Amino acid sequence: MSDTYTFDTKDLKEIENIIAKYPEKQAAVLPVLWYAQDKFGHTDSSVQKLVAETMDIPEAHIHGVVTFYTQFYEKPMGKHVLDVCTCLSCQVCGGYDMLHYMEEKLGIKAGETTPDGQFSIQSVECLGACGYAPMLQVTNDKYVNHLTREKVDKLIEDLKAGKKPEFESMKMPQHVNGSDK
Amino acid sequence: MPEIFIDNIRYEYETPGKVLQFMLDNGLDLPFFCYHPSLSIPANCRQCMVKAGMPIFNRDKGTYEIDEEGNRKIRYFPKLMTACSLDLADGMVIHTHHSDELVKQAQADNLEFILINHPLDCPICDQAGECPLQILTYKYGPEGSRFEHKKVHKPKAVQLGPRVILDAERCINCTRCVRFTDEISKTHQLTIVSRGDKNYPMTADGEEFDDPYSLNTVDICPVGALTSADFRFKARVWEMNQTPGIDMSNGKGCNTWLWTRDNLILRITPRFNESVNDHWMPDEARLSYSRFNENRISRPQIRLDRDEQVPTSWNNAELTFREELDKVSPSQILVLGSPHASVEDNYSFRKFFEEKGVNEFFYLPHIIPGSGDDLLLSDDQAPNTNGVNALGFRETDEAGLKKLIKSKKTSIIAILDDDILERTGLTAKEFSGSFTVVLGTNHNETSLSANLVIPITCAAEHAASYVNVDGRIQRTIPAKETLYTNRRLNLEMSMSRLDHYGTKFDNWVTDANRVDCIPAWEFFTRLGDEQTTPAYHSSREIMEEIAGRISRFKEVSYDRMDDENGIQLELKQNTEVNTV
Repeated sequence: MSDTYTFDTKDLKEIENIIAKYPEKQAAVLPVLWYAQDKFGHTDSSVQKLVAETMDIPEAHIHGVVTFYTQFYEKPMGKHVLDVCTCLSCQVCGGYDMLHYMEEKLGIKAGETTPDGQFSIQSVECLGACGYAPMLQVTNDKYVNHLTREKVDKLIEDLKAGKKPEFESMKMPQHVNGSDK
Repeated sequence: MPEIFIDNIRYEYETPGKVLQFMLDNGLDLPFFCYHPSLSIPANCRQCMVKAGMPIFNRDKGTYEIDEEGNRKIRYFPKLMTACSLDLADGMVIHTHHSDELVKQAQADNLEFILINHPLDCPICDQAGECPLQILTYKYGPEGSRFEHKKVHKPKAVQLGPRVILDAERCINCTRCVRFTDEISKTHQLTIVSRGDKNYPMTADGEEFDDPYSLNTVDICPVGALTSADFRFKARVWEMNQTPGIDMSNGKGCNTWLWTRDNLILRITPRFNESVNDHWMPDEARLSYSRFNENRISRPQIRLDRDEQVPTSWNNAELTFREELDKVSPSQILVLGSPHASVEDNYSFRKFFEEKGVNEFFYLPHIIPGSGDDLLLSDDQAPNTNGVNALGFRETDEAGLKKLIKSKKTSIIAILDDDILERTGLTAKEFSGSFTVVLGTNHNETSLSANLVIPITCAAEHAASYVNVDGRIQRTIPAKETLYTNRRLNLEMSMSRLDHYGTKFDNWVTDANRVDCIPAWEFFTRLGDEQTTPAYHSSREIMEEIAGRISRFKEVSYDRMDDENGIQLELKQNTEVNTV
């Protein structure tokens, strides 16, 4: 199976550089997996095996790391992966509404990919953006905050047109000390 | 000496260590799941929490600060500490659930968390009865469940490997199994997958958990998540009794527990011995229990003509043996001891023939080079190679044996429990010129080709000693009754509830599983000449005699073996192969 995926000499050099940055090679598992996912688009079991063999780290350990993080894709995913947060804050602010709206719109369930291979939806745990809930993340990259149905529609149209969302700087509500005002 | 106060009682300690281990060593109780003395300490079950503090030391004055009542002032850690990972420190004060309400509450609350997704299937769970989660919940847990929601469901009855089955819902993620494969067996086959309430131990995709030590994870699993494919659903632990034993499948001589019900050995688990096997045991050794139950020789067998062996009486067997012996001269008798038989059996075997005038004794080592590893599997497949060697049997091999048969023109070949034909290239033809006597436990190629077969007790049925590859002598205790022994009368044997109260008239106990056999030494005692051979009453007496006569076994006794968990002998390994 692992013949399908191989690292060429350039990749191996790159991985060597990544490993060299850390005192122990186990610490380099995450960045190497990132590298593999960037290259192959996912980290399914054959990619896990490849990474394990390349790094000489037990395959079971790599498997454990991949399954721990929803950001690593255990199977081939669509071109755009929409990670909708359904953790506590987003849930309270309507995370599931957004998720279900998206599911309906794209005609797939969370964890599935559209037949044309364009979109995948995942329901994920906290992405650390509770202040702008509900939110989603596009393919492990930019966040889309304060989701509304209109925003979701626009996002999907943009993505279909090949336009990725821009980084949006969010201003945190400033802590106001009572004595100042 | 440094001191520590646990629940207001003062203890002294010599060596640095962890609080939990110190408490366990001192017989104090504290609940825990993930801690295991032979594994690393992740402190992830959070069950062993205690309130811990240190006396306040005034550096300027060089004294401890004292409160109004004259006691040392204690500065407690701001939160409860896990005792398993907390180092002992001089003057440390520990409060457990016995003296602190907060700790008591914490233990109950933590258990409540652990139990939230744990299925309530104890009635059908194999672990019930020997389950730390069950026991600790009774002792420390909350009384009922407040959880009104649907529990998280995970994979059930997953065949992790050929010998281990996983029920992921029961798992409490203590990671003992993962640490075992990482630290002890070093196969790194397991990991915890996923996270939060969805996680459970698993192998990598498409991999099998075929670790040669995989069943140890079943032992250390504190819940019923990992169960043995072999033992699953066979018996309830409270119906079995357990007897200390020694592993017979291997030269290492792992210390074991033999678990019996209705006089059948149903499983073998490791027994802690720091000097031999620690808490572990290879899978192969565990699954070797069937040889104690199945295919046993029961009643003496005698060959009437070329093809047929029939059962006969003990009297007839003894008479036949005596007649055959009287016919021949001692030089024509070939005596083969066995690395598979005990020291006592080999000794009485040798002694009997010595008195008949035989002066050469041989054995065939059972060694498969490369089959061992550096943990608990040895190349030596027999439990007593060093023992038979130390008794003065000379090592020989297949070619040597052929030569011996030819040069001696043997008329009688006496073989102590050893399937020589199966494990060498020898055939029954080589033995066909002689009257072959086999003293054996199980039917095998060698016993089937014999002219006379004497059934003898196996390691699960007698008290006898074995010397392992490292020269450590250890002894067994009978776990199974033979036709001639009885649990109630032999005070060394253990009794389960079922053994106590079961009768052959109920549905659970049969009288069928008793083998008609006697220890080899007893057979020779019966045959022996009353004038010269002192009659032995027990193998204990034989070991006393051996200890008095053979310098290598000096000061060895059953009492010492029991007290010290085996005795290290001073042995020089005899590697010289005797080719005659």
